[in-house]
Amino acid sequence: MKFRAKIVDGACLNHFTRISNMIAKLAKTCTLRISPDKLNFILCDKLANGGVSMWCELEQENFFSEFQMEGFSAENNEIYLELTSENLSRALKTAQNARALKIKLTNKHFPCLTVSVELFSMSNSSRIATHDIPIKVIPRKLWKDLQEPMVPDPDVSIYLPVLKTMKSVVEKMKNISSHLVIEANLDGELNLKIETELVCVTTHFKDLGNPPLASESTSQDRNPEHMAEVHIDIRKLLQFLAGQQVNPTKALCNIVTNKMVHFDLLHEDVSLQYFIPALS
Amino acid sequence: MNENEHDTTLNLKCKLGMKSILPIFRCLNSLERNIEKCKIFTRSDKCKVVIQFFYRHGIKRTHNICFQESQPLQVIFDKNVCTNTLMIQPRLLADAIVLFTSSQEEVTLAVTPLNFCLKSSNEESMDLSNAVYSEMFVGSDDFDFFQIGMDTEITFCFKELKGILTFSEATHAPISIYFDFPGKPLALSIDDMLVEANFILATLADEPSRASSPQSLCLSQKQKRSDLIKKKAGKNATGQTLECISRKAAPRRIYPKETLTNISALENCGDPGMKRANGDISEVSESSVSNTEEVPGSLCLRKFSCMFFGAVSSDQQEHFNHPFDSLARASDSEEDMNNGSFSLS
Repeated sequence: MKFRAKIVDGACLNHFTRISNMIAKLAKTCTLRISPDKLNFILCDKLANGGVSMWCELEQENFFSEFQMEGFSAENNEIYLELTSENLSRALKTAQNARALKIKLTNKHFPCLTVSVELFSMSNSSRIATHDIPIKVIPRKLWKDLQEPMVPDPDVSIYLPVLKTMKSVVEKMKNISSHLVIEANLDGELNLKIETELVCVTTHFKDLGNPPLASESTSQDRNPEHMAEVHIDIRKLLQFLAGQQVNPTKALCNIVTNKMVHFDLLHEDVSLQYFIPALS
Repeated sequence: MNENEHDTTLNLKCKLGMKSILPIFRCLNSLERNIEKCKIFTRSDKCKVVIQFFYRHGIKRTHNICFQESQPLQVIFDKNVCTNTLMIQPRLLADAIVLFTSSQEEVTLAVTPLNFCLKSSNEESMDLSNAVYSEMFVGSDDFDFFQIGMDTEITFCFKELKGILTFSEATHAPISIYFDFPGKPLALSIDDMLVEANFILATLADEPSRASSPQSLCLSQKQKRSDLIKKKAGKNATGQTLECISRKAAPRRIYPKETLTNISALENCGDPGMKRANGDISEVSESSVSNTEEVPGSLCLRKFSCMFFGAVSSDQQEHFNHPFDSLARASDSEEDMNNGSFSLS
């Protein structure tokens, strides 16, 4: 298995660094899937993650000036690696004003993802920093657990408000309760509710807008003001919101009543899907 | 300026708690704007250092800080005879080390006559399978002075280096680095107009089993950490110095079985567990122990650093009441010598 890639454009490098920072905030350990056209950061819905799953996808040609990979085999031309997300984001942080960034799969003592940064320096001699990030190669038989999650038919699909606002609201709510109810309707209304013995707090967001639903029939049957709700763990929602440092290009939320909430974000050209299951 | 009731200047060696001093000088901006004069003097009768700020409109603020007498120690280390000498702007080096993850305790410096490389310590990254191994090359062109006598790789405490660089960025002078083979101390030196500071760090010896420059530093075997102060070699330029400076003997290479340089140290601001030798001893033969711990398998690096400040002002002062301060030896060294063996790992 081989992998070599290079980024020379400053904007692409910064964008890639931001994505990596976001992943580091969303998942401590994640899977990196390398295929000929894409890179994916994957978190599968194991119990260890609390049932949360994440699927982040980016088109490699939007970032890398050079990209070569050779997967497990010709039929399965993919590479699945497990790494500690923070290691990658920290290594990329050093590449802030770099001339070039190279990433490749190496095997020094143990399998590594080597990130090599060529920095500008005051004099002619260039400054090179190398980071060997230890990784685990995921065997072929476990790949089936790491596929793109099925997006179920949502009961309600709604555009999200400004994430920073949502985050500050949820942050305050976290002090009061550990459960939170997200509910939304097809009239552009979204509510965040918490309830304890002593107090109920609801934050209402209005005029958010709804994306066109997949199936027209369901939208006609349902009363647009009817709320679809799901109870979730507030910390998982907060972790998701905290990972969004930059306001996304597009952000929408799909609610499947009492099952799960699915967030679908687009950061310029990188898509992020995040699934939080309902509390049982 | 040291005064006592007899109004003669004494050479006072004492130590003050950092927690006491720092809050006094905390708000630099407001200090610069409002204070007309600052006076620092000692009241040895009360064991206090008095810091007085004179503000406008006759307002005066006085701080009294208790000090503790300290027995000075000697450091035997001559940076000028080191094989490898580098000089670089601290900012450049700080940029290089920022990439290292903060969890690392040690960092390795590898030099060749053409190259300078900082990298994660091998010993550490081997142990933790999750650790990122990093390397950073700095071209020799970035250095103000780059003289490497031999290819060397030394490992020392990362935290100390970070602290030293943070400190040195406050001055505008380049930082000089002097070092030799692994096990021999590394000296970082800043020479500004107002301040000269020398930091001496221990380096990890190559093979813990062999004695690595046992002469390099007098060190108690028991202590994990000691801070020693190196006296600045006679700076004739200007000096109403706060601390004494004198070099009584010519500097010698630090090798076993040779006599030491007589450098009286200033102050011991470290480990209270450090045992001090009594009496004047002007020569030390095989005394100090290796920097590495003898605990098998332990990666614990005995770290110590040493810092000297000489304030520079117009009057020259060279009053020394005790030119030869007691030489600190490794507390067990005499026993070691008697037993005919060094206790080393």
